[in-house]
Amino acid sequence: MAVESAKAASSRRKSNAFPYWSVIPVLLFIALFTLYPVYTAIKESFFLNIITQPRNNPFIGLKNYTEVMTSYYFLSSLGTTSIYTLATVAGVILFGMVAALVMNTSIMLSNFLKVIILLPWAVSTVVGGLLWKWILNSDFGIFSGILYSLGFIKEYIPFLSNPVLAKISLVVAHIWKEGPLAAIFILSGLQLIPKDLYESAGLDGGNKWSMFRLVTLPLLRPILLVVLVFETVTSILSFDLVYVMTGGGPADSTALISWFAYSEIFKSLNLGHGLALSIIIAIITLALISVYLRALKTDYTIH
Amino acid sequence: MGKIRSRKLLTALAIITLSALVISGCGNNRNESSGESGEGNKNIELSFVTWSYGVETIADNIKKFSDMYPYIQVKHSDYSWLDYHDTIVSRFVANNFPDLLYGSDHWLYEWASAGWLVPLDDHFPKVKEYAKELTKYSIEGMTNNGKIYGLPYYADTIDFVYNDQHLKDAGFDKPPETWEEVYDMATALKNKGIVQYPIVLAWSQKEGAFPETFQSMVFGRHDGDGAFFDKDLNPIFNKEGTDVYNTLEWIRKAYKDGLIDPASLTMTELDQVKSMQSGAHTFTVLPQYNLAELNKPGSGEFAGKFKIGLMPGKSHSTVGFVRFYAMTSGLEKKGKEALDAAWKFLEYSAGKTDGEYKVVERWAVENGLGFAQLPLYDNQKVREAFGKWGDIEIIRKQAQLARAKEGMTTWYGTWDVFARAEIHKAILDQQSTMNTLNNLANKWNELKSQSK
Repeated sequence: MAVESAKAASSRRKSNAFPYWSVIPVLLFIALFTLYPVYTAIKESFFLNIITQPRNNPFIGLKNYTEVMTSYYFLSSLGTTSIYTLATVAGVILFGMVAALVMNTSIMLSNFLKVIILLPWAVSTVVGGLLWKWILNSDFGIFSGILYSLGFIKEYIPFLSNPVLAKISLVVAHIWKEGPLAAIFILSGLQLIPKDLYESAGLDGGNKWSMFRLVTLPLLRPILLVVLVFETVTSILSFDLVYVMTGGGPADSTALISWFAYSEIFKSLNLGHGLALSIIIAIITLALISVYLRALKTDYTIH
Repeated sequence: MGKIRSRKLLTALAIITLSALVISGCGNNRNESSGESGEGNKNIELSFVTWSYGVETIADNIKKFSDMYPYIQVKHSDYSWLDYHDTIVSRFVANNFPDLLYGSDHWLYEWASAGWLVPLDDHFPKVKEYAKELTKYSIEGMTNNGKIYGLPYYADTIDFVYNDQHLKDAGFDKPPETWEEVYDMATALKNKGIVQYPIVLAWSQKEGAFPETFQSMVFGRHDGDGAFFDKDLNPIFNKEGTDVYNTLEWIRKAYKDGLIDPASLTMTELDQVKSMQSGAHTFTVLPQYNLAELNKPGSGEFAGKFKIGLMPGKSHSTVGFVRFYAMTSGLEKKGKEALDAAWKFLEYSAGKTDGEYKVVERWAVENGLGFAQLPLYDNQKVREAFGKWGDIEIIRKQAQLARAKEGMTTWYGTWDVFARAEIHKAILDQQSTMNTLNNLANKWNELKSQSK
């Protein structure tokens, strides 16, 4: 009896321990490819780390951080990144919402529209950036070409050479690229909303706008939170589109903070500065996400 | 239990067998890379990294080299030019050194000061003999602390290029000789409706040739050395009336007056060539190797109409740049046999085979690449090939007047990132020329003092 109960206890312990053992490979994987690099990055950011001086890397405390934060580009690129993030996140969510609402209807062309709307998502960012660069080219760009042939403009517009227009162009290209993903998320949320809620709202005399405001929007909140977090991170870390379309110019007008993290590491070869800047970006991003999570804390109960 | 044990045993055996296979595989590789060849020489493997240009030609050159030296295997790999610097730096930092690679005067100080590259003349005395036949700017571009770090893969000048048809249409029978003449001719071309923007530059902030082009415009005006910095690398350009000041003022005026295409500020070299080919512009400044592409038959209405003029200005000087075969410290550690093999490949690629610069000649004839080896200006094949798209005497003259970029230091890369945006700000009239130059000088001094 005692032997049997000891066996049962051992078997129970084993089965209780199984979930922990089974996640160990994943934890190891995460530790190796996420925690270790993050730990190394944080550690190295406290050392002098100029790539061309591999034998000269003393501990310098927060010097990399103070140098980066007092650099000529820090505040301006932070401003540019904030404007860019605000505009792109708002644009992507708006685009995603409108596109998802259209795709969720049973209008004749909705399947065709689904393909058209989702297509940019399948295009790589670099290719998308090149397409936009050509579309907006001031010598042979098709966009200026159309405006010119319709008589709206007298000469081609140098979209990417004007600091303000270049920013707007980047935002448009970003929305075009990222909008479809948001649309998919929102569409999946829309399709989970029970139809009878709309029927009840209709019986209560609700019109389309009030149904959207009081039924659709509250129930989409969890999805919108995911989109908001994901798109904020994507926008803050945007690099490839900027690299292809404007190279950060003209006059640094489109140089986001991630651009300078790149240029610190690969142009100035100052790994310490690049790491410090990357960690500052990560802190800002995490802070924003925690604000979102608090502000948009979802109550799942449907009243 | 017995089954579990035998499974464990099988697994252990499998691991041991696999390990043995891997180890023996490595052993075989080691034998391959240092085994005895039929001719009594040890087999040597050299890794060779280039950017992705003329890859088929490189492969064919390597094949011919292997026919000459069967015991030397050259393993070639390539990266896009746009990513080349960053990729190679990442490899160096990760201690993943290729043996030989393409280098550039632009990165020499950076790579040499980090100890990633080693001077060729420390190991190969014949380099100094070859140097006697090279253009002055190419030697300057490959030299750091008095040591020569490379042999030229190609060398070129930044040239002033014009559309001769446009000039004739506007009634001009010769190219401009000063920047003031460029301005006047551009104004006439615009007023006559021949082109909307007569001048185009590839001055995207990410474009590699942006600083070289700017310096060449300054050099054209400037007599002698020291347009930007004195001998102790102190900035001397931030005064009214300097050639740097006058150049920037000229660019601002030309931009404001609609003579320079606004797209120049986001244009890359590739777009610049296409734009010139389309006939949208008359004047540009670009690396000379583009002229073969510009005048390529069938490339457009103006193929054959593009010509090189000496860089406008009183000295007609310009920037000469050099891309070269370099050797890493990784190879140096491999010992004498690897060094001997490397020299054979370097000499084959950039030096003489049977008394002739065969590989350099091939690049010049087949691809229109410029060269640093002076005897090639009198080489019949090269003259014929260059004659199809350019005037070799003008090219030679421009090469003789060229000099290496100024300010090549370990902090140049950081300053360059800053300078590009500052020059843009001046062109866009966001700040005055003087403020721009003061900002550039202050940044230079700050970086210089930090480097000590």
